[in-house]
Amino acid sequence: MQHSQKRTARPKLDVERVELPNGLVLLLSENHSIPSVSINAIVRAGSRFETDEKAGLASLIGALLDAGTTSRTSQQIAETIEAVGGQLGTFGDYQSSGAVVRLLSKDAFIGLDVTADLLMNSTFPDDKVHQEIDRRVAQIKARLDVPRTQASDVFNEIVFKGSPRHRPPIGYAETVKTLTRADVEGFYRRYYVPQNTMLAIAGDIDKNEVKGMVEATFGKWLCAAEFGTPEVPWAHRQNVPLERFVTASKEQVNVIIGHVGIERNNPDYYVLLVMDTILGSSPGFTSRIPRILRDEQGLAYSTFSNITSSAGQDPGRFVAYIGTAPENLDRAISGLRGEIMRIVEGGVTAEELEAAKLYLTGSFVFHFQRNSQIAEFLLEAEVYGLGFDYLEKYHELIRAISVEDVTRVTRKYIDPHNLTTVVVGPVDEHGKVIKVA
Amino acid sequence: MTKSFITRNVQKSILPNGLTVVTKEMHDKPVVATMIWYRVGSRNEELGQTGKSHFLEHMLFKGTDRYKKGEIDMITHLNGGANNAFTWLDFTAYYFTFASDRWEAALEIEASRMRNTMFAEDEFASEKQVVEEELRIGLDGPWEALENEVWATAFRQHPYHWPTVGWLEDLEAASGADMKAYYDKWYHPRQATLVVAGDFDSVEVVQKIEELFGRIPPGPLASPPNIVEPSQRGEKRLVVRKQTPVERLLIGYHAPEVGHPDSYALKVAEAVLSTGKSSRLYQRLVERDQSVTKADATYHDHIDPSLFYFQAELKPGFKLADVEHAICEEIDRLKRGDIPAAETDKAKRQIEASLVLSSEEPLQQATLLGQYETIAFDEHVPADSRGYHYLDTLLERVAGVTVEEIAMAAQKYFTEDNRTVGYLIDGREPGEEERGCAA
Repeated sequence: MQHSQKRTARPKLDVERVELPNGLVLLLSENHSIPSVSINAIVRAGSRFETDEKAGLASLIGALLDAGTTSRTSQQIAETIEAVGGQLGTFGDYQSSGAVVRLLSKDAFIGLDVTADLLMNSTFPDDKVHQEIDRRVAQIKARLDVPRTQASDVFNEIVFKGSPRHRPPIGYAETVKTLTRADVEGFYRRYYVPQNTMLAIAGDIDKNEVKGMVEATFGKWLCAAEFGTPEVPWAHRQNVPLERFVTASKEQVNVIIGHVGIERNNPDYYVLLVMDTILGSSPGFTSRIPRILRDEQGLAYSTFSNITSSAGQDPGRFVAYIGTAPENLDRAISGLRGEIMRIVEGGVTAEELEAAKLYLTGSFVFHFQRNSQIAEFLLEAEVYGLGFDYLEKYHELIRAISVEDVTRVTRKYIDPHNLTTVVVGPVDEHGKVIKVA
Repeated sequence: MTKSFITRNVQKSILPNGLTVVTKEMHDKPVVATMIWYRVGSRNEELGQTGKSHFLEHMLFKGTDRYKKGEIDMITHLNGGANNAFTWLDFTAYYFTFASDRWEAALEIEASRMRNTMFAEDEFASEKQVVEEELRIGLDGPWEALENEVWATAFRQHPYHWPTVGWLEDLEAASGADMKAYYDKWYHPRQATLVVAGDFDSVEVVQKIEELFGRIPPGPLASPPNIVEPSQRGEKRLVVRKQTPVERLLIGYHAPEVGHPDSYALKVAEAVLSTGKSSRLYQRLVERDQSVTKADATYHDHIDPSLFYFQAELKPGFKLADVEHAICEEIDRLKRGDIPAAETDKAKRQIEASLVLSSEEPLQQATLLGQYETIAFDEHVPADSRGYHYLDTLLERVAGVTVEEIAMAAQKYFTEDNRTVGYLIDGREPGEEERGCAA
């Protein structure tokens, strides 16, 4: 066995933060290795601000952002970006919405101009709203074709009860059908305002030049006189074990076990990152769940666990997943539950801890390879107040963690006695394997 | 046209034992991607033994005479790296990415597992279950059952007939001895290309590669079964029944291999039809007809002729035959040469930009270099485009494509006799098998 004890190679980012007079936060990072640029704009609003009755609204708006503006039709928007070979995506997720444009750096201004237009001047034409609603109803149906998605949706409904996170951001067929153009317009007017917007631009740019371009486009955006966001209720961790078996005609059973997790700003986030690495989230078969359930027992192609990857402004979820043949269902469930119990009761070894730290610090550099990754990091740093010295701080945060920290924190955030277990596949409602036609 | 930025600074050499070595030194990010590509995939397999190339890929993580089971992953882990592998029709590729101060373990591991992988019988048995689970994931997915049937129907003789993961029955029958024999046939320097891209010193690295790999014997001369798929003589149609809330359509047309003179016009046609929301399939099916949630055209480079295929996922209440008909109408527009210059210009720029936008990581660049070294090798590929040089001439050839060439390629390949049409319908209801349009 061999590994380097040398000082870890660290990414370097040249970051500049500017706040425009209208409140928009601009984050810039310049590098010239490839002639491309990524423009990531987010407004801090998503399905967490919806009611159950309007489930799917933020996501619908995200999809409709490029459906037309005061000066461009949807086709003109697409043509403008695509004529220079650019790629535009718009979205409305759980906690943020917005647009991402990737293009050759010589065309950066075109990307900025269109991004500003979408966030400031979208018109949501009636026919486009109806068309997109119709399409989404079909997409919601298609989710049943991906058993892992189906299992995940069922799991969220149970563990996030009482919080907006129980819903899939795309919403439900019944709620999406009732959404109106007025709903769309209302949400857009309320939340798509400069003081709720962040713009990250990374790549082959000249920062000063881009600042000028941003001022020329987003600078015209008037800030809202009054702006506030609703309180979002958090889900409580369950205090009883729960099980749900969903019958589906599939080759595999898809199993998700877990409960409510943590928010990103939780001070124990970094200790749990280490715990994740040891229990079920490191690549290859070095963490316990993939090593034992896949590599040793051959139960699955895909099996893992984690609590940190879904941590956001609101608590995410702790999940352990496995997809396996129906005849292995009992072994798979007891295998996952057994590993969860073992790490809570037995903690981790000093050797496992050391390996996890080496992995987390050594692999950090890979989060900054693409311009889109850098832009995403800048936004994450801004949303969670990580500070741009995070690139240095991260290593210290990880290195300081002890075996005792992992034991204490694992016991605090993971409850092996009160887990939700969801199974989707050829099973009956009691979990007995059946043959489905 | 200047050389592609991907090939800038690339050096290639062939060791006396036949190993192709490609390096690309670049110092903008402190990382190194190491890949080894073997020119063996499901194309090299035989009926009754399908899926061996992919299964073998799994076994190469199970240890060698030097690295015991789990150690390859553990070394990667302790060094903060990543590793994985993938197998497809024409190749099997393995990769590592490491920070540039500790990447050379990758070379040592690849040198060891090229010839010294262990095939312990108990490891083989448990990994067989893993591979079977991987296959089941595919069968439970929305597209794979239909894709498998269309390719199996379109290719009667050629090994593109079966999926890379293999047929379940063949996997169940596979033995450790079969796998070892397959490994001994294909895993040798003369079948491989080693690619290193990133922050290193080329002179030192080439020397290190010579030390580690130079001693390995070249291996036997082996070539894949020489099977030519005869021309299709008439449309083939099929229906797959599966419990699904969404009906799907897949139309495959036999289309030429990598580097074929017509392949560039077909790439431009693919972009015109399917890249972005201004593309024809999106504008026609999603925007105008509003009959699908998505529709795509796909054409990949392969060693042998493969399929140019169309896929659509239908909205409830719409008919597969009508969507098929609409796709055929869009194809007919291409055949008539009804393509304004602005549209072909856009398509060409999309191809060019996507090459840049998908190459920001050293691993992505290494993948392109390794892929074309592995597939664009045959004599039919023009000499100036062979191996990684394919990337140099690609944009030039794409830029030179005319509207007439697109129309001619569409007329030549998108014919009724040359296509296989598959419908995926909900297994719970007896569906009507409707006919679509005429070609």
